[in-house]
Amino acid sequence: MFKSTKGILTTLAITALLMMSASAAFAQTTGSVTMTATVSNFVELTSGGAVTLTGNSGGSIITDGTANSPLAVVVNLGELGPSNTNSFVKLSVPVRLRSNVAYQLNMVSSVAGAGATSFSLKDTDVGFGLTPAARPANLAAGVDTNATPGDPTVGGSTDANGRWVFAGANSTLGAYAVSGQVLTGPRINQAVAANSATSLTVPAIFAIKPQFFDPAPAITITAQFTVVAL
Amino acid sequence: MPRLSQVITKSSLLTALLVVSAFSCLGQSTTGTVTMSATVSKFVEINSGGAVTLSGNSGGGVTTDGVTNSPLAVSINLGELGPSNTNNFVSAQVPLKLRSNAAYVLSMTATVTSSGSTASRIGAADVGFGLGTISRTGLGVNAGADTNATSGDPTLAANGSVNGTTGRYEFTAVRSNLNAFSSATTALSGPIIMNAVPRSNTNGLTVPAFFAVKPQFFENGTTTISVTFTVTAP
Repeated sequence: MFKSTKGILTTLAITALLMMSASAAFAQTTGSVTMTATVSNFVELTSGGAVTLTGNSGGSIITDGTANSPLAVVVNLGELGPSNTNSFVKLSVPVRLRSNVAYQLNMVSSVAGAGATSFSLKDTDVGFGLTPAARPANLAAGVDTNATPGDPTVGGSTDANGRWVFAGANSTLGAYAVSGQVLTGPRINQAVAANSATSLTVPAIFAIKPQFFDPAPAITITAQFTVVAL
Repeated sequence: MPRLSQVITKSSLLTALLVVSAFSCLGQSTTGTVTMSATVSKFVEINSGGAVTLSGNSGGGVTTDGVTNSPLAVSINLGELGPSNTNNFVSAQVPLKLRSNAAYVLSMTATVTSSGSTASRIGAADVGFGLGTISRTGLGVNAGADTNATSGDPTLAANGSVNGTTGRYEFTAVRSNLNAFSSATTALSGPIIMNAVPRSNTNGLTVPAFFAVKPQFFENGTTTISVTFTVTAP
């Protein structure tokens, strides 16, 4: 029994020695490093800078836009009744977009606190439009499609009741009671570093014509933009 | 053992990558808001509704006429109010134009000063007053019922007569002479005048204000009649 065990051990030892010798004979000469990665869809919306408020009577910019910071502008448009003799109260908000894919900019808006009679200020009394320019050379080539008619203070007329009507489709916040597309386009940025300042900046214009609206001491108009990747 | 180490290393790298990705995603802003506040204040306005009409005068004339949609600042010389003026009444018709985005009240205050010193001098009660037909017409003007607190044209037979005791002509109807307006008193009131239209719309509520004096044997002298209209949104 002891003899048999010794034999087995000897055999195993020899086998191990042979295997080690074989490994030494076939020396390692290559190596590999395998990396995986992802480039996700990236779309970004931030402020394009300071807003511009004109035609106001008693209004002011409460929280201004700061370029490259989250867009969270707060503006007091002031008096919108007939004592404001300006043609329009107009707010221009620069919106900054970046993406590595085709994008779609949506907006949803609301008007509150204006009253509920036919003479109250409605969402259709708030003109809206984007005025994108052609893309500069430092952006990816492409054409952006504006779903709005542009500057709402251009054109327009009074209706059969004498009330001001903004010209064109999608020219007022009445078109955006539910989220709707305002701008789309192909990839915005070229393959540049994330800290590159290149971006597509689009002015979003809001305008109200002062009229004999029902008196209302505290009207609130909100517009929320959302950019999504297509 | 090296294989185990490799697996651990790969897992660590993948975890780190996921963490970095998560942070990157959190830093990406895809929404933004624009919040606007505003006010529509009550607005009431009175302007001239146009040219003044003076009739029954002897001498006199319109010194400063009314101009449509301009501030009301009319000046009239009624001329002779004594018995040498044989007309039935000296009447001045002053068109008023009102606009508002709220219910309104038009009030008036008047003073009459005469150089005379006797009871026969011209006094506030000798100056008839009333508002005529109210017109809410034109694009952008709201329909509504206005309340005329006066008795209308003071020269109407129903609004005055000769006092049977004194013989003096008196404007007797309710608020038919300036004595009723020695302090600010409502002459007209009503609901919102304008629909939601731009201020550049020049339409509005128009109403003629009638002033009338019956020439009589008043004490001679000069008389100044001053009337101020004020519109408010209660």
